Amino acid sequence: MEQKKEDSGEAIAKSMFEMARLKVPIISIVIGEGSSGGALAIAIANKVFMLENSIYSILSPEGFSSILWKDSSKTKEAAEKMKLTAKDLYELNVIDKIIKEPNGDEEESFRKISQNLKKEIKSVISEMNDNSLEEIVEDRYLKFRNMGDFINI
Amino acid sequence: MIVDKMKKREPSAKNKNVTIDIPVGKWAKCDNCKEIIYKDVLKENLSICPNCGHYFRMHINKRLKLIIDDGTYKRFDINIETTNPLELEEYPKKLKSLREKTGLQEAVACGTGKIKGEEIVICIMDSGFLMGSMGVVVGEKITYAIEQAIEKKLPLVIFSVSGGARMQEGIISLMQMAKTTAALTKLDKAGLLYISVLTDPTYGGVTASFASLGDIILAEPGAMIGFAGQRVISQTIGETLPEGFQTSEFLLEHGFIDKIVERKDLKDTIYKLIQFHKEGK
Repeated sequence: MEQKKEDSGEAIAKSMFEMARLKVPIISIVIGEGSSGGALAIAIANKVFMLENSIYSILSPEGFSSILWKDSSKTKEAAEKMKLTAKDLYELNVIDKIIKEPNGDEEESFRKISQNLKKEIKSVISEMNDNSLEEIVEDRYLKFRNMGDFINI
Repeated sequence: MIVDKMKKREPSAKNKNVTIDIPVGKWAKCDNCKEIIYKDVLKENLSICPNCGHYFRMHINKRLKLIIDDGTYKRFDINIETTNPLELEEYPKKLKSLREKTGLQEAVACGTGKIKGEEIVICIMDSGFLMGSMGVVVGEKITYAIEQAIEKKLPLVIFSVSGGARMQEGIISLMQMAKTTAALTKLDKAGLLYISVLTDPTYGGVTASFASLGDIILAEPGAMIGFAGQRVISQTIGETLPEGFQTSEFLLEHGFIDKIVERKDLKDTIYKLIQFHKEGK
């Protein structure tokens, strides 16, 4: 509450700043709805994974449609336009891996997802174990340095 | 009857048909006191309302003239545009018309220039270009400027004015917050000075990235600065916000910024801070 009163902008900036220079491998996993600065503040990672059915976006579809089209009811259209699914974000090179979420029995599905995640986390850690602390920081730096394509004119 | 008193007053016969001949484009209206001001007077007064002291937003060129020594600004040779990642139909058209209307390539200008002879890297944002929002072009230009500061070992000064991350580029805009922030960790490591100047309004993803990360953070008087808008916060927490919330004066009181500087003193203050930093080395 007090936090909110004093505004969260600086907290997000500081969190990203510290994560960007942390000398250990970082893995962030989007497991549900990751949105805006709050999600990004804990996602300055060497590897970013997303569960198959999770979303990661600049803002909620309600907010997006309200700002862009001055109409907060066009949520469906916004959600389709925003490229917020794991598949979209993988194609945009924003995330590194999609973690499959098998259908069927909930408990069984959860167990499979957890096993799969464990395997992926272990593999990143062992892969990065060979890197120096500086290389770990530089790997993360380059990942975000190259975010977003542009055209030279 | 009270209703009679509330009736809208008819314009008097004397004023009814009189039209005043106002030359188009010569006058500006103050958002605060509603006074109509002759633009030349406003220009003379550093774009500050002579009636109530309200700060008007400044075009990049005016800001450059105010801060940088005449003839010393050299813009970085970086000419890029967005790939329109969300494939929005109207967005490229909007950018094209804004370029023609504002004479600007994008919402930020970056280059080197001198402040009373001291060379710096400077970035200036402009609210006239899609509310100074940050998409890939703004993010890349700011990052490039930070890298140039490191390479040339120069102090960095960024003037922010922004509605935040640019919605039209979706998640790619969000990632520019990470990109600019990561670049600032390198500037920090190189031990170089970064002065962030917040002007009205600075919001969203710009507040939540490079604008809040200055070694020294200055703000213009009365500037509105925050992450989320006041209405959103008030609705979310279900409370009325304190008086003056999100003004630079409120932020100074709560320790988020270091100093409020009047527009006329900005150049001198930045110069002194750079000098001071040099002595400390």
